[in-house]
Amino acid sequence: MKIDCGHYPLMGGFDELLEAPGKPRSGAGELCDFFAGLAPEELEARHRAVDAAIMAAGITFTVYSEAGNIDRTWPFDVVPRIIEKAEWDRIEAGLKQRLAALNRFIDDIYHDRNIIRDGVFPAEVLADSKNFRAACVGANPPFGVWAHICGTDLVRDGDGTVYVLEDNLRVPSGVSYMLENRQLMKRLFPELFARYDVLPVDDYTAQLYDMLAALSPREGERPEIAVLTPGIYNSAYFEHSYLAQQMGAHLVEGPDLVVLDDDCVYMKTIEGLTRLDVIYRRVDDEFIDPEAFRADSVLGVPGLMRAWKQGKVGIANAPGSGVADDKVVYAYVPQMIRYYLDEAPILPNVPSYLCMHEADCEYVLANLDKLVVKPANESGGYGMLVGPKSTPDERARFAELIRANPRNYMAQPTLSLSTVPTLCEDAIEPRHVDLRPFILQSKDFYVTHGGLTRVALRRGSLVVNSSQGGGSKDTWIVQGVC
Amino acid sequence: MLARVGENLYWMARYLERAEDTARLINATTMMLMDMPRGASFGWEDLLKVVGLDEAFHTLYDEAGEMAVMSFLIQDERNPSSIFTCIRHARENTRTFREVLPRESWEWVNELYLYTSTHLGHALDRRTRFEVLTEIIRRRQAVVGLLAGTMSRDEGFQFMRLGRNMERADMTTRVLDVSYAINLPYQNSQYYDLVWMSVLHALSAHQMYRRYVGVHARGHKVLAFLLNDLKFPRSVRHCLHEIQFALDELPGVEPMRRLQGMLNLVDQADYRALAANGLHGFCDDIQARLADLNTVISQTYFRAAHPQKMAQSLFSLV
Repeated sequence: MKIDCGHYPLMGGFDELLEAPGKPRSGAGELCDFFAGLAPEELEARHRAVDAAIMAAGITFTVYSEAGNIDRTWPFDVVPRIIEKAEWDRIEAGLKQRLAALNRFIDDIYHDRNIIRDGVFPAEVLADSKNFRAACVGANPPFGVWAHICGTDLVRDGDGTVYVLEDNLRVPSGVSYMLENRQLMKRLFPELFARYDVLPVDDYTAQLYDMLAALSPREGERPEIAVLTPGIYNSAYFEHSYLAQQMGAHLVEGPDLVVLDDDCVYMKTIEGLTRLDVIYRRVDDEFIDPEAFRADSVLGVPGLMRAWKQGKVGIANAPGSGVADDKVVYAYVPQMIRYYLDEAPILPNVPSYLCMHEADCEYVLANLDKLVVKPANESGGYGMLVGPKSTPDERARFAELIRANPRNYMAQPTLSLSTVPTLCEDAIEPRHVDLRPFILQSKDFYVTHGGLTRVALRRGSLVVNSSQGGGSKDTWIVQGVC
Repeated sequence: MLARVGENLYWMARYLERAEDTARLINATTMMLMDMPRGASFGWEDLLKVVGLDEAFHTLYDEAGEMAVMSFLIQDERNPSSIFTCIRHARENTRTFREVLPRESWEWVNELYLYTSTHLGHALDRRTRFEVLTEIIRRRQAVVGLLAGTMSRDEGFQFMRLGRNMERADMTTRVLDVSYAINLPYQNSQYYDLVWMSVLHALSAHQMYRRYVGVHARGHKVLAFLLNDLKFPRSVRHCLHEIQFALDELPGVEPMRRLQGMLNLVDQADYRALAANGLHGFCDDIQARLADLNTVISQTYFRAAHPQKMAQSLFSLV
């Protein structure tokens, strides 16, 4: 087992650490030197220590399969990804700009819909939206902000341009893995942190707390804050309990809460009922209130929407935020930025073909073998067609799906995602990555320093989702080399 | 504190205490058997009676041989009180309230579980049994020590303290009751000292008994030590005091009222008389009162968690 930057089989696309074998990018030189000086036995020992630490910490996620739900440990790669601060500053500004526009959009959609009236956003997209919630019309969450926590997926193409791939505004997950990855790296490679100024990531939970506290309907120093989880069998349960623990918040399930006639939300405690101020919900909004949405939901709290609409409880993300988490709505974000903020978008979208437009649809159907086709409302990489890797049968099936429901599909060219050296068997090989930073907004904005780098561990694969063979890496925003 | 979380903490502590007590009991029994005359009546069947699982055992196994009993008590997942089942439940419970415990607690409980699940097979074999069970005890004690050293004395801590001492008091009376009955035939034999000593061993009490009471194990003195000693942490009196301290920090008055009755009982008992006659009835009484206190604790603190269900059915007191 050896990490040798001199012998690195580049794939031809953009590599985040190396311009050419033996030629590190600015910022990555120290890292290559460090690994070059690490004896194979030493590297193996540390690699084993990583696995042991992950196992002991019980850092797991759940894979749903026909054979039942299996708890798998989190696959982690020891080679970090490095981004220089100057580049990151620009990305950070772009992420804030984007979330600001998205929140203006959501608020507009649930009020006057100026953006539709002014012809910038088509009414029919809204009419078909699966995540539009009529019950939210007219609601006024604090600061006019609906999506308080956003996980935006970024990818880098062959020419080095960073694109936004999608905005996750419903219940984005992964931030706990970002925090755990840094803990692991600090435990296993302390020497590296002496050579670099790596911006810390662990103030995220304090920032998350402050963001949530700002949503409290009551004055006071310590509002009662809870993370609402669907329960122990949810794939992100580890993260829910982790965040509650780090914030000193309660971790609650639907049946722990009750809404009384005063429209306030209460927790069932050992002393009776205690009023709750803010809920960080990790339950899809369809399930949060059987009175307002799905009556069969056992995960929610009857009356929660009532409490929220009257401003008696803060909910993050606000119910209905998902209306902007839609791959067709995504295509309009650059227009939203111009419309609401009167600014030029800092981060570009991946060029997108919306099948609802006839010309786009024809192009997509004629080029299925070259494009990635995505359904508008799925997440987790489910229900996609990756054209260049598809069979004629799959393409025929997708052509039918698209023709039957063009609004529900969009397509993008296959990007040659950038790579990062990744330890495979005995040596490093390039593997494709994306990056999910997390952006917070209530009273103020906050962007994580870096984010979760997900890596497609299978050679040549472009799918980074943990449910489909993805792993992750620590992500370093570096100020400079000491 | 959420009622559901309070309840899970309480049971998590009970599970872990039961796992450790069972491990101690098995270790002590294995050692003691080697001292007994060959053909003596204390056998593996009796060990099942001590923990109150003889009936449950015989629905699954025919004969109470060493291997079957060890397998049943140590690793059988069909036995809700086996060491492995207890530790697995404790781990699953800990996952549901990781946010209220110091971070390492989850890791250590998880490691205890991982160790147990990979080493249980070795606990069946007499040669390696002691080592594996001792390691389980060590790791469980590490969790207790970690919590003692890093956790605020909040309500969550008090619920664990409650659960731990409820379980321990119950185990002490159970071991006392049954071992006494088993040892009775030896009342006037040369093994008299030995059988009382074995009761002390089963509860890891022999060293403290010798230090504070005396070198010979006399019946009434052993009883007074195990039931009414204030300072020995496995005596019923001590456990009741721990329960009292925990209840002091929690709201509600009814649990305390019930506890008082039990304290009076152990305080006023005539141990010389009990050593001769009536111990079984006395232990039964305490166990019934502990079960009653368990119900009152559920009603007082956990009722909000699930209105219909009063006690944890899976793991109710035997």
